[in-house]
Amino acid sequence: MRRWAPRTHLAGLIAFAVAACARGERVPVRGGVAVTDDAGRRVTLAAPARRIVSLLPSFTEILFAIGAGDRLVGRTTWCDYPPAALAVPSVGDAMPPSVEAVAARRPDLVVLYRSGPNVTAAEQLERLGIPTVLLDLNLLEELGAATRRLGTLTGRQVPAESLAAAVDRVVSQPPAPSTQSLAFIVWDNPPIVIGAGSYLDRLAALVGARNVFHDVGSPSAQVSIETIAARDPDFLAVLSDSALPPAYASRPEWRVVRAVRERRFLFLPGQLFGRPGPRAADAIREFRQRLEAAAR
Amino acid sequence: MKFVLLAAAALATLAAALLLGPANVPLGELTTSPIIWQLRLPRALLAFLVGGALGVSGVGLQALVRNPLADPFLLGLSGGAGLGAVVAIALHLPGPWALPLAAFVGAVGAMALVYRLGLIGGAELDPRILLLGGVAVGAFAAAIMTALVSLAEATELRNAFLWLWGGFSGASWTTVLVILVYAPLPLVVLAAAARPLDLLALGEEPAQYLGADVRRLKQLVYLSASLLTAAAVAVAGVIGFVGLIVPHICRLVWGRLHHTLFPTAFLTGGIFLAAADTVARTVVAPRELPVGIVTALLGVPLFAFLLRRWTVS
Repeated sequence: MRRWAPRTHLAGLIAFAVAACARGERVPVRGGVAVTDDAGRRVTLAAPARRIVSLLPSFTEILFAIGAGDRLVGRTTWCDYPPAALAVPSVGDAMPPSVEAVAARRPDLVVLYRSGPNVTAAEQLERLGIPTVLLDLNLLEELGAATRRLGTLTGRQVPAESLAAAVDRVVSQPPAPSTQSLAFIVWDNPPIVIGAGSYLDRLAALVGARNVFHDVGSPSAQVSIETIAARDPDFLAVLSDSALPPAYASRPEWRVVRAVRERRFLFLPGQLFGRPGPRAADAIREFRQRLEAAAR
Repeated sequence: MKFVLLAAAALATLAAALLLGPANVPLGELTTSPIIWQLRLPRALLAFLVGGALGVSGVGLQALVRNPLADPFLLGLSGGAGLGAVVAIALHLPGPWALPLAAFVGAVGAMALVYRLGLIGGAELDPRILLLGGVAVGAFAAAIMTALVSLAEATELRNAFLWLWGGFSGASWTTVLVILVYAPLPLVVLAAAARPLDLLALGEEPAQYLGADVRRLKQLVYLSASLLTAAAVAVAGVIGFVGLIVPHICRLVWGRLHHTLFPTAFLTGGIFLAAADTVARTVVAPRELPVGIVTALLGVPLFAFLLRRWTVS
């Protein structure tokens, strides 16, 4: 007779689960965690993740910043910060991710940036029974939300909340009055510049530098040298770890641009400026200093 | 008469290319503005010369392989040029000229390989083997290039593709000079081959009986057309469609004789590409379209219209 009790319990649990599923939600079991990711999927873990593979340098930085760096069991070849990240085994360049290499790390959570190939990779990983979370991280504004959800999934809500709050304070700063103008040149032939829908455009606004291509809505766009010359930025911002003028600076067609003639280049180290991350406040400080130094 | 008209159209196109652009240059400053002298003028001339070179190269190659689908890039040149460019970036070859020069060397290398394959059956270039060899060499070079790009870690390599898709962003007086150095010799050789190429259209044997040195003709035409294309690749990347469509348009409008076809194809190709580049620079300003998109968008309807008109009459 005693056997009936657990069975009734089980039946009750099943009924509860079915009811929960019918409401379109899966309630995490006790000690479990759940978030909704940017692909609109409900990500539920039975317990905070202990073996994480991060497939974007920014996520790796965030996980270290909220004290979950020791749970990383896989990273990409691009994840080079903080230095401790280099001790984590690499699963390749993740463009696109090697599902086998990721699965071989036996993760209980894979964090992916939401892009076409990554959505496919996430589906394949889920089919292998590996939980995945797809997050957007193109803009400074998306940093807080991504950090909070990674905090929930790792059970590090408190440090994640304080980091996210700090980032949100940076985001909500009013843009500084612009005293200088600049253009971000990411490639020279054909010339490709950074437009408004981007992390760097926002950083520039926060330090009081007007992106002369702010009217271009997309994150980046091909333009002509003529347009750059006509918009006449005070500086050309170059993502580069060295302070050597870019190769195009000596070409005659580029010398039509005043900033090239006057050698007004602003060098921004790629590791700090190439991606939104927990060091956004550092990036802004560094940006401001370099701008002031260059304007002198 | 047709040459007067074409020359007038060419001048009008070049004038439009000088006057139109995303930057506003007041009419009074036309003669002094560096935007005109350093950017628009060399760019318009370069687009014109590359368009002309591709048009003439297309006429020569279509006559040589006697196949209407022949295109200057069909014979493996784009694959070779791409491989050269990617190798230059992967090896970090310094200097602004490394990339165009490597692309030129790659294109000439592919040309030599296809040429050698074309001679496989004996001392005569076999057009069918040229076509097959061109496709095979192009595919092989493209495979190596893609392998390099997907294995290398440099993000710059991805940008090599942007350059390779073609365009005149890098136009300057130096690039104009480069094509002016490379293009005249093959152009003269092809113009001199106009009459024998008319004979070749009758078939190789009849041409031989009528006095053409078919073996030598095929070699000269192949090498000249390929050199023209390689020079175009070096200064502007791979710009498709011009070399395929312009010869057909000229043949539809002005007939099949090569002494007319070569000059009209040069002018038409030049007008077409200079106009396409002006559209690419201006329609979505401040942004810019890749010129290859514009050549296809403008060229296909024009070509369909001509085809309809001439097949009906």
